[in-house]
Amino acid sequence: MLKGAGVSDGIGIGRVLVIEEHSLEYTPKTVTDKKAETERFNDAVKVFCENTEKQADSLRISAGEKEAEIMLGHISIVKDPYLIGEVEKLINDGQCAESAFENICDMFISIFSSTDDELTKQRAADVRDVKTGILKILLGIDDIDISEAPKGTVLAAKELTPSMAAGINKENIVGIITETGGTTSHSAILARVLEIPAVMSIANLSEYIQNGDTVIVDGSSGEVLGSPDNAQLERYTEKQEQLLRERRELENFRGKVTVSADGERYELVCNIGKPEDAAKALEFDGEGVGLFRTEFLFMDKTSLPSEDEQFGEYKKTALMLKGKPLIIRTLDIGGDKEIPYMGLKKEDNPFMGFRAIRYCLKNREIFKTQLRAILRASTFGNISIMFPLITCVEELREGKALIEEIKSELRAEGTEFDENIRVGIMVETASAAVIADILAKESDFFSIGTNDLTGYTMSCDRGNSDVSYLYSVLQPSVLRMIKRIIECARENNIPVGMCGEAAADPMMIPLLISFGLTEFSVSAPSVLKVRKCISGWTKQKADEAAKKVMSLDTRQSVYDYLKTVI
Amino acid sequence: MITKNLTISNPQGFHMRPASVFSAAMGKYPCKVTVNFNGNSYNAKSTLNLIAACMKCGSEIELVCDGENENGAMAEAVQLIESGFGE
Repeated sequence: MLKGAGVSDGIGIGRVLVIEEHSLEYTPKTVTDKKAETERFNDAVKVFCENTEKQADSLRISAGEKEAEIMLGHISIVKDPYLIGEVEKLINDGQCAESAFENICDMFISIFSSTDDELTKQRAADVRDVKTGILKILLGIDDIDISEAPKGTVLAAKELTPSMAAGINKENIVGIITETGGTTSHSAILARVLEIPAVMSIANLSEYIQNGDTVIVDGSSGEVLGSPDNAQLERYTEKQEQLLRERRELENFRGKVTVSADGERYELVCNIGKPEDAAKALEFDGEGVGLFRTEFLFMDKTSLPSEDEQFGEYKKTALMLKGKPLIIRTLDIGGDKEIPYMGLKKEDNPFMGFRAIRYCLKNREIFKTQLRAILRASTFGNISIMFPLITCVEELREGKALIEEIKSELRAEGTEFDENIRVGIMVETASAAVIADILAKESDFFSIGTNDLTGYTMSCDRGNSDVSYLYSVLQPSVLRMIKRIIECARENNIPVGMCGEAAADPMMIPLLISFGLTEFSVSAPSVLKVRKCISGWTKQKADEAAKKVMSLDTRQSVYDYLKTVI
Repeated sequence: MITKNLTISNPQGFHMRPASVFSAAMGKYPCKVTVNFNGNSYNAKSTLNLIAACMKCGSEIELVCDGENENGAMAEAVQLIESGFGE
C-alpha cells in the first residue's frame, strides 16, 4: 500500500494510465542560419499560445475562471519581451532554439527557486511548465491525449499540471495519483474542483505503479492500494457504494422544505461572496442567501467601485435568486486587510480597531454609495440590508437614519426602491450579545456570526496556535451568548439566523432548534446535510439535549455529551 | 531621463498579477523603463524580471524612465504602484 496526502475526497477504483515524463533530451547544435532558427522559435511560441488558449477554454468550463487564468499566465511568460530578447540573443550567438530557450528558462527557474519568498518560488513551477511545453513543440513530441483515456482510468503522474487537467474528461477519470503536490498545492485544488478522488505526495510513485495496474485510490485517507486482492476490492467497493449511497440519500432532501421531525419549518439559506455564488447556492438547493459579503467589490480594485457598478452586481445577484431572500451585508473591512486607496492603516489590534460599521459611519460617502446601490437594486428581488460588527445601538440608529435620508433622496429623484426593505444586524460582538434585548427592539432581524462571536467572547485568536484551544463554539460562555441572542430576538418577534460555521455543525443543530433559531445560513455544499440533520430532531428531543448541555460546565463535557446524542 | 523613488505598498508585493499588470502597462511606452532595487537593475517591461526582483510590501525602489514619452510612463507607473494594484 502506498501512502500520500488525501487531497480530494472519494474512492476511485480503476486501471492506471501513467503519464510519462517525456524525455526532452536533445543534442545541442550550433546553428548557422540564425534567421531560420529564430523563426522556428517564434513559430513554436505561436503554437504554444494557440494550444494554451484552447486548454484555458476547456479548463474554464471544467474547473472555472481562476484555473483558466493560470494558463493565460503561461502565455504572458512566453511572450515576455525580456525572455524573447535573451533567447534571440543566444540564437544569434549560434545556439539552437531548444538550448537557447532552456538556458533562459533555467536561469529564471533558479532565480525564482532560490528566493525565500513562497509566492515567487511557486512561479518556478509555471516557468518549468512553459519550458516543457515549448521544448515539446520544438522537438516534435506529441502530448499523451488524456481526453481519450478509457472509462475507469486512474491517472498517475509526477504532478497534475493545468495543461493535463485541461484534458481530463470527468466521466472517464476515476482517480488521480501524483508524486508531488500537497493539500494546498495547485494540483490538489484542480483535483477538488474536478471532483476526482486524488492522493498526492506519494514518494517514488513511478517505482511502484505500472500502466494497466488495478489500483484503489482513497482520497479521504490518502491510501493507494496497488494490485488489490479480492477481499480488498470488495471492501473498497462497499465503501465506495456507501459513500455514493450517502450522497444519494442526501439527494432525497433536494427540493424539499427544511422541516424538523415534528413539522417545524426552518429557513435554510447560503453564505456567498460573489454574485456567481448565488447560482451555486441554488444549484445546491439553498433557499436563498443569508449572507452576501460585499468585500469582493472593493478588494480587487485600484479605486472605489461606483454606485452604478455596485448596483449592477446587487441587481444581478437579486435577479439570479428570483425572489428568494437576499441579505446583503454592508462593507465589512478593516485594518487586517490593507486597501491603499481606502486609507486603511495597519493597526496593532485590527480586530478591535477601525473596521466594518465603524469605518463606514466615519466614511459616509463610501457608505452612502453602497446603501444607495443596494436600495436601487431592492426592486429586483427580496433584498435586506445587514450591518456588520454592531456593538451599540447608536450605530444601528445612525445607519438606519442614513438609509432614511437616502430613501427621501430617491423618492425626490423618482427612483424606485423597496419602501419596506428590512434592516438587520450581525450579532457577532460580545457587546451586541449582551444588549441583544435593546438591539432587538430596533432591528428587523438578527444574524449570529459565530466565528467572530466565539473569538470576541473567548478573547482569543483562532489563528494563534498557542491560544486556539480556547476557540470553540461549544464553550459554555459562547453557548450562553447564543441562547441569549436567540431568546431576545424571539421575545421581540424578529427572525434570528446564524451565518457562522456553527450553523452547519451537527452538534450545534439540536441546540439551535431548542433555543429557537429560525434561519440557518451555511456554505452551499452543506445545504442538504443540514436539511437532513434538522429533519432528525423533534423540539422535545432537542430541548432535552439543550437542557443537559446548559447544565455542563466545560467545553469538553459539552462535546463528550453531544457526541453521544448525534 | 527621469527617476523617482517609490515604496511598494500592496501587501503581497510584486507577485504574478501586479508584475504582469505593471509590465504590460510599461510595455505600451517606447522609452526604456528600469527598476533599480537591492543593487540590481530590472527591465520593467518584463514580468519575469519583476518577479525575479522579489519586491515586497515596503520595498523601496528607484524607477528610471528614459526616452520617448518618459513622463507618461512615469506618471502611470507611479499611479499603479501608489494605488497598490488595488490589493
